[in-house]
Formats: sequence, structure tokens, C-alpha cells
Amino acid sequence: MNAIRLLLISTALALTAPGAIAEPFVVGFNRFHADAPSAEGGRLLFNELNCVRCHEGSTGLPERKGPQLSGIDKKFHREWVKQFLENPSETRVGTTMPSLIHGVPAADVDAILAYLASLKSPASKTKPPRHINSARGRDLFHSSGCVACHAPDPEFQPPEGIPKAAEFTYASIAFPEIPSKYSIISLVDFLKDPLKHRSDGRMPKFVAEDDDVVDVSGYLMRFEGSNGVAANSIEDWPQDAALAKRGEVLIREARCAACHELPKETAASVVPLSNMQKGCLALKPAIGIPEYNLSDQQRQSLELFLKKRPETPSDALVVSLSLEALNCTACHDRSGSGGPDAARKAYFGGDHNLGDTGRYPPPLTAVGRKLRPEWLEKVLSGDYRVRPYLHTKMPIFGKSTNGLASLLAKTDARAEKPLPGGDDSAGRKLLGTNGGIGCITCHRWGSQPALGIQALDLSNIGNRLTAEWLREYLINPAAYRPGTLMPSFWPNGTASNLQICGGNTDLQIASIYSFAKSANGEPEGFPQKSHGEFDLIPKDRPIVQRTFMEGVGSHAVLVGFPTGIHLAYDGKTGQPALAWEGKFFDAYNTWFSRFTPFEKPSGRVLGRWKLQDSATAPFRFEGYKLDKEGNPVFLLSHGQDKGFDRFEGIPNGFRRTLEWTSSSTTHPAPIHPEGAQVLEESSSQTGSRQFTYLWK
Amino acid sequence: MIRWALLFIVFASALPALAKNSAYEIADIMTADSPTASRSKDWKPGSGIPLEVGGMDWLPDGRLALVIRKGEVWMLEGALADSPSKRVFKQFAAGLHEPLGALWDKDSLLVTQRTEMTRLRDSDGDGIADEYSTAGRGWNVSGAYHGYAYGPKRDGKGQHWVTLNVDMGDHSANEKPWRGWGGIISETGEFVPMVAGMRSPCGLGANLEGDMFCVDQQGTWIPATPIYHMRKGTFFLNPEGIASQNREDSPLKLSAPVPSKVAYPDALRALPEMRPPAVWLPYNKMGRSGTDLAVCNAGGKFGPFDGQLFVAEFTDAKIGRVFLEKVGGEYQGATFPFLSGFASGIVRLLFAQDGSLMVGMTSRGWSSLGTKSYGLQRVRWKGEVPFAIREMRALPDGFELSFTRPVDVASATDLKSYRMTNYTYLYSSAYGSDEIETATNHIIAAVVSEDRLRTRLKVEGLRASYVHELHADGLKSEAGEPLDHSDAYYTLNKIPLK
Repeated sequence: MNAIRLLLISTALALTAPGAIAEPFVVGFNRFHADAPSAEGGRLLFNELNCVRCHEGSTGLPERKGPQLSGIDKKFHREWVKQFLENPSETRVGTTMPSLIHGVPAADVDAILAYLASLKSPASKTKPPRHINSARGRDLFHSSGCVACHAPDPEFQPPEGIPKAAEFTYASIAFPEIPSKYSIISLVDFLKDPLKHRSDGRMPKFVAEDDDVVDVSGYLMRFEGSNGVAANSIEDWPQDAALAKRGEVLIREARCAACHELPKETAASVVPLSNMQKGCLALKPAIGIPEYNLSDQQRQSLELFLKKRPETPSDALVVSLSLEALNCTACHDRSGSGGPDAARKAYFGGDHNLGDTGRYPPPLTAVGRKLRPEWLEKVLSGDYRVRPYLHTKMPIFGKSTNGLASLLAKTDARAEKPLPGGDDSAGRKLLGTNGGIGCITCHRWGSQPALGIQALDLSNIGNRLTAEWLREYLINPAAYRPGTLMPSFWPNGTASNLQICGGNTDLQIASIYSFAKSANGEPEGFPQKSHGEFDLIPKDRPIVQRTFMEGVGSHAVLVGFPTGIHLAYDGKTGQPALAWEGKFFDAYNTWFSRFTPFEKPSGRVLGRWKLQDSATAPFRFEGYKLDKEGNPVFLLSHGQDKGFDRFEGIPNGFRRTLEWTSSSTTHPAPIHPEGAQVLEESSSQTGSRQFTYLWK
Repeated sequence: MIRWALLFIVFASALPALAKNSAYEIADIMTADSPTASRSKDWKPGSGIPLEVGGMDWLPDGRLALVIRKGEVWMLEGALADSPSKRVFKQFAAGLHEPLGALWDKDSLLVTQRTEMTRLRDSDGDGIADEYSTAGRGWNVSGAYHGYAYGPKRDGKGQHWVTLNVDMGDHSANEKPWRGWGGIISETGEFVPMVAGMRSPCGLGANLEGDMFCVDQQGTWIPATPIYHMRKGTFFLNPEGIASQNREDSPLKLSAPVPSKVAYPDALRALPEMRPPAVWLPYNKMGRSGTDLAVCNAGGKFGPFDGQLFVAEFTDAKIGRVFLEKVGGEYQGATFPFLSGFASGIVRLLFAQDGSLMVGMTSRGWSSLGTKSYGLQRVRWKGEVPFAIREMRALPDGFELSFTRPVDVASATDLKSYRMTNYTYLYSSAYGSDEIETATNHIIAAVVSEDRLRTRLKVEGLRASYVHELHADGLKSEAGEPLDHSDAYYTLNKIPLK
């Protein structure tokens, strides 16, 4: 049934392997340091290949840690793990796991696996998913930010078309092995919280609904069908205590505990760096030495770094390498470096009304002085999201971002002329539309939607931003974010509003900031919740108003009658559509909302006419006339014939007169409303029929 | 004495230049006093007119018909009277659905609302419309908020043009008929599609020759505000509504796929039906969102700009000026800043009999530098000729500038008085575009005419299809004044052969 889709998916995943890259793939190195060997690139590699764990010292970068090995027998197929151990870089192209057991007999591999299977772990609570929608998972995978780091399916069509191959300027992190390594359940288990399985945050945690995780897992597993109960599970690994004992020895000798969390019997001691030529950096490392398959570029970078290793790196360097290590740069630009390339940008979805800022995550340029330190911690811990319109969600990197906020604050700090104290009431006025600059035209304020496009909530800027950065930004928003729709209301530092705070730029900005911080009310100009100000009340004459109305359509012509029963006429097909009693209509949205929702009648619906669609409706709508009393006469045509459909309000209903020009040869049969008593008056005759509709 | 003069200068220069063209003055006819704006809790229907102008036209008897967004038409008597007490507003029609254009036609007013073009007629002479007859139809209305319809405007052949916004947001159905297209209304009241590829074609206007133009807005597929010359079978920029080309009555069928993420000149080469805008209004430099066009035919009563188009702009609440010429049979030309400092986002422009310019505004829904919610203002020329670049014509080897007043020969022949760059845009589905492929043009000669009203600039590195941006900061008039605006932007679609 899903064979075609399955074929597409498998082709796609096969293609995502980074081709010729046989060396360990460190995305930040590949993107930023692969052009020429450098000590900086070497520092990143020294950290990301986890050299630090065997050799002494620290790089200053977020710690790398191997995946959790206890419970591995419940997560992965044994056959895959076996192949991986025998030849890591061929089994998982680009892996940073070195080959440690090259040259050991196959029986020894079985012993290692037996030892791993003997490790105790709590049982997974994940149940087989009853419903999997891999096609939806594919959409989610491509639209939720996964493809910032991982390769998209080359067949997947993002909204603006498939990017050209040349637009991919750096390689993605591939995972072609997933279907042969995981089961659906174990992949769901992993994706729900990768940090539980790999605490180093290189695969961060996405806050996602369980259904989303299941569907993405289904896609990645190339799962066909919809019932996950039928999916393959992980077969039991054989248990063999004697073999496991032998495995423990091998694991200790191979020093696995340097990277992985393992029982203390297998602990690995520090290996001092002595003659690097003979260690891991040798072209062909000796048996017993980890073999990383390093490229020349990587080897030279590591050598350059080792020469500089005793030097303390600058904070700025640690920040930029940390962002590369965690691949923050996949989504974020910082001072012109990083951010998605043209190809990846195609997959970032969001609110197009906000332009680029509605789709792409914000830059990290100067973020250490932009965000208040407490807020930056909140962002990193995933507690708060201020850009709900971005389809990409900021993931959580766990312990690996500890200390990053304070380091960013230190790096980005600069001497600032502090803003003066603000005036809350001036700030409130500025933000609003009553004589202010109208920030709320585009920006949300807490739970209040903006009047126009729905840009960033401003109610929290006092807690979120530093006042000095706000000034820097507001004077020239495009300098910080090229392509932003945000205009400057203080171009070149000169206030465009001269009435408030005497046109003093610093005072105005400080006032906006302090009003937000005060959390004392909202700006002026939000529409009042309707309390009847815009209720149309027909008193002496009928009221006619066109609008979009549910059940009538986009061409609804509403007529409110003083007699209390009201009419909606379809101005597209020329037919009456709906009758209701009580309140006529609240015109607020039709008159003053930019977003023109489909409206409902204010009162109680009495009955509907069975509408014929425009293809079969016998009449053509030609407009309406209002007679002396203001009653509508809808103008119709039928070929050459002209019709006049007049409605007049009467107590409990309408009087309807349907007339045709005397030359008319056809008189389409009138349709009457459901639920009404229909009386044809005695004066009725061919070409001029009169009906009374009554609802009692 | 001197001290006072200095003080005055300091004070004057500290004021932001609101009306940046002192030869013109802006006067309020009615602007929202913010507390009584349409969003104020104090405002109620009937206690004031929310004059969010969507369309304007003159009646033969001198009344000004004002179509407002809430769906009403008001007639203003005494629009040109100096005394506010002589201005009288009377309601003419109500209940329309966000009308965004008005045109007086013989005995009645044509307005275009979201769903149709409607003819409003006062058949019993009581000053209030009693006939709302459908006069133009045939486009899909999905209910998407941005599914606006604009017009009508009359061209030299008497045809009535209407343009249709592409749908955006919920309910969007751009695959349905004619979103993003412009066309004329047939005698039987049907929309006859003529041109495709528009996004937010908010303003139409004919030039003195009677050719119809339209100003669109930057956004998806549209790098900056363009002004199109509308003629049958052309495609402009935005393909979001192109599906309608498959309809039987389409005047256009693209012969190649729509290119994407290419420099605009390459897009033109790749897609034969794509016609370039006659003029690009570079983003920010000439404002952001163009909204309307009005040709000046004031017989000198609006200063020295007869025959030129004035273009309204929303975000910066300002007006620009456009000079057009035909090169190789097609329109192209230059745009110049003209006047800023209006009260609200400008949406409609209309010249009056007396040569003044009526400016209709509303900034509900989008932000504008104007501080009021809506209103009607009027621009009058004070009678003094500003020192301006009146025209900028393309030459095979440069440009010819003509001025409103004689130039100072020394500054006009000094090559250091001028700077020129040229650039184009990236054609893609992204929202707007940076200027790309920017290159500097060297100006190698500047020759002043005998009457000192023209300067021919010999320019190296002209590139067809690129915008050429001129700054003539050093140029002085005979009297030593600088230009009112020293920047000009010429859209060099074609380099003239001679």
C-alpha cells in the first residue's frame, strides 16, 4: 500500500550519508574549520572526539560523553552493535567512535556484547504505539527543525521548492543506520528524551507531543502501515555469564569507560600525552590504540592545537567553539557567522506575514548583552518560548549549556551609557495607538493579540531584554536583523514622535522598557471586548451590511429588520440563505478587524434556505435596490429575464415578493425556508408571486 | 542679532524635517484625533466618521466621494474650502464590504468591494444611494483577510481596470480565479483578466497618455515596490496566483517554469512573458509599501511636475514622484523622493481641480510612521519652484538630468558632485530582497546645457535591467541651494540605442 512512499523514504535516507566522509564527522569542524588546519579547529576536535577523556586537561568546551551503555540490549539490534564494534566508521559513516578492537577475534566481540547485555537497566515503559503516521512524521521531520542538522529527504518538497544541491554548503549529520539499529519503540524512547540516553546534548531534547515523536520515529524507521504493535522489536540478546566475565576484561583493556558510563571495575586511567606521533595521531595506530580514521586536515589541526594546549583560550573563542560543538550555528547566526544556509532556509516554516523573522530563529549576535542573564538561562532550559510562530522549536541541551549564559554575558558585555529612568505612563502611551507609535499594531502584548500581524510579545521585554540593548536595537532594527519588517521609529536616533517625552529618544525607550517591566496594565488602543458598541440595531429602517458569514459564504448580504427577524442573502448565487431572530449583527469585525473572520448571526437561527451552488443556481445576483422604506429588492437575472426578490419584515417573519419582467418566459420555482409556515397570498399570480414566511 | 540668528538655526535644525519639501504644505481636512479613533472605547457608530480612506473621486458638482474601509461612502462638500466650517460630510451609502476604490461614472459611483464592483446610484435625488447594482464580478472570494480588490480606474480607452490581491492567511485559495491578476470590466460586468503576477496591487492610475499603471508592494516574490505598466498578456512578479492561467479565458500562458532564487535579470531572460516593472522603488530609500498612483495634470498649479506620476507610500507615510519615458517601445524611468510627514499611512491620492492633491489615509492593520489612525489631508504648492531634478532620462552612455531651475555650472560640471551605483534584486519566494550585485558606476563627464537646465552625465558601466541610483549631493542651483532631494533611482530596463 505504501510501497511507493517506503521506496522514497529509503532512497532518501540512503542518500543522506555524507558520501566520501570516512573520517569522524564533527559538524562544526566540517563547516567552519575544514578549509585550512588551525589550532581552533583542533581544539574543537580534541573536545568532540573526546580526546580530553583519556588525556588530561580541559578544552573549556561542553563535555562530550559516550551514549549510555546499560540497557543497550533493549535499544539496539545485537547484529548492528556487533558490526559497529568491528568496524565503527564503515557501519556508521562519520561516527566519532574510534575503532578500539581492530584485530581482535570475533569471539572477543561476542564477549563484549555479552558483558553489555549483563548490565542492569530499568525497563522501558514505552508501549508499542497503536497508531503511526509516517507520512505526517516526514512532514514534521522536515518542518520542525530536524533538517537544520540532519539531511532532508531530497524528494521532500518544502513550500518554496526543493533547494538546489549547490545551496547545501556544508554536510548534514547522517543516520542511515537507524532502521537496522533501532526498533520503533526504542527509537520513540530515545527521541522522547535523548538526554537520558546521551547526556552530552549533541542530540538535544525537543519538547514535542508523544504523537509527534511516534510519527517522526515511524518515518525514520521507514515504517509502513499504521499499527505500531505489528512493528519489529529488539530480539533478546543471549545471556552468558562466563562470556560476560571475559567481556569485562576486554572492555577494561579497550578503555571504553573513558567515554561511556560503566561499572567502576572497568574504569580507565588517564593516559599522559607523550609522543603524539605514536598515539591516535599516527597514520596507522598500533593495536590497542584508538583508530579514528582522521583526515589529514583533522590530524594537522589536532597537532596545531596540541602545541598551543597549555595556553588559556579566550572567552570569545570558547563561546564560538561551544556554539559550534552544540551546533547552535545550524539555526543561529552570530555576528555574521553561522545560521542556516540557503538550502536549509527553505525548510524553516513559520508566519510569512512576519517576513524572515517569522521563520528563522533569531541571531545570537550580542545575545549576552541583549538578554538578561536570568532570561538566557530560561531560554537554555527551555522554560519559555517567545516566538510561537516559528515552526522550529528551540531544543534543550541539558548539562552541556551549564555556564554558557554567563560566558556569553561576559563575552558580549561592553561599556554602555545607561538609559535614564523611564516614565511608565509615557511608555504605555508610546506602545499604544492613541497618540503613541503604535507598537501594538504589530506586536502582541501578553494574551492580547496585536491589531495587525502577530509579532513578538512585548509584555515581557522588561524581564527579557537589557534596556541598553533595546535602545541599540530600536534605533536601527535592520542593523541587528537585516530584512526585518520592523521599522525604526527613532531613525538615526531621532524620535519620530515629538509629543511624548519631548521627543527625547533615550527617555522614550526607557519609558517603554519601564512600563513593560512594571507589568502594570496594557498599552492603549486594544479593541474593547465588544459590549455592544458595534451592534447594528435596526430601529426605523432595515440595515444592510455585507460580510463573510458561516453557512452563507463570502458574499453574504445581511438585512436587519426592525420587526426582529433578520435575513442573510447570498450575493453570489442570488438566493436567500438564512433567517434569525433577536440581535441582528455585531459589525465590529467586519468594520474594524483586519482578519475578517466568518461571522455568525448575533441572534437565534430560525431557518435556512437549501442553497443551490453557483453552478446550478437558477439566478444571477445583480445587486439590490432599497425602496422608500429601506426594504431590499434583490436584483436577479436569468438569461435575458430580470427578476426582483423583495423582502419586507413583518411580525414573526417576512413578506417576500418575487417578480419577473413581463417579457420573461421562465419563472424559476421559488425555494422556501425550512421551518417556516409558508403562505402564498391571494394576490399572487404568474410573474409576481407573494409569500408570507412565519416562524411562531 | 547674530546670536539670535544662530539660535534660530540651531533650533530649526534640531527639529526633524517633517515636511521635507518646503515648497509644499500639508493641511488637515480631517484626521483622527487619536482619542476618537476607530479603536477607542469612546468611539461609537454615529458619533464621528472613521475616515479610513479606501477610495476617492470627484463628482461633477465638486463634491468629493470618500469610500471608507468600514463600508460607507461619504460625500464631502466644500473639500477645497479653506474654512473648516464650509466642509460638510453627508453619508451616501453604507453596508459595503471593505471597498478600496471609487470612480465616478456618468451618473453614479463605481466602488470595488471585496466581492464585486458595485454601481451606487441615487435614483430619487435625495442624496443617498438607493441602488447597489453589481457592475463587475468574476473573481473568487475565499474569505482570506488579504483578498482585497482594488479599483476601478479608467484608462485612455475608457476601460475600467480592477486589480485583485493574492489571498494570504486562513481560507487562502490562490488557485481559484484571478487572485493576483488585474483586468478590465466588460460591458456585461465580467472581469476580463489582462495581467498576472501581482501580490498586493493596491493602487492603479493612468498617465496622461491613458496607459494604465499599477503599484504593487514588496513581499513574497516581490523584492521592492514595483510600478507596472499593465497590458494584456503580461506576467509581472508573484506567481502565487498563476494557476488561473490554465483557465479558458486566460490571456496568458507561461512558456517556461517560474525561475527562483536567481538574480532578477536572469529571471527575465528565463521567462519570456515576464515584463519588468517600469520603475522599482528601492526598499526604505523610497519607502516600503507603495499604495497609489496619481498623474499630475494641474497646469502648473502643483509646481513644475505636470505629466509625472505621484506615488503614495504607506509605512513611511510619504509621497514619491515618478518620471516615465519610453525606451525601445516600453516604459521605464526614475523615481524621486517628494514629500513626507503625513499623518497616517497613505492609501489614496487624488488631484483636485485647483491643482492641490488630496491624500487619503488609514494605518489600521499595518504600522506606519504617521501618528494618526486615519484621515484626509491636502497638499498645496506654495508657489515657489523647488530646486529639484525634474527628469532623469536614459542615454546610450549615461543619463540626462533636467532641473526645475538653472544649476550652478561649477558644481554641475564637478564630477565629485555625483555618485552612482547600480544593483538588482534576488527573485525568489522570500519576503523582499536585498540589493544584490551592487556595482559602482564611474561618472566620467558632466556637461551642462546652455540654458543650465540640463546636465548630461556620461556614465561607465551601465547595466540593462539594473536600478541605477544617483546621488547628486554636491549639485547647487544658480542661487547656491542644494537639491530638495539629491537622490534619484532610475530603472534601466533597456539602454537606449541612440
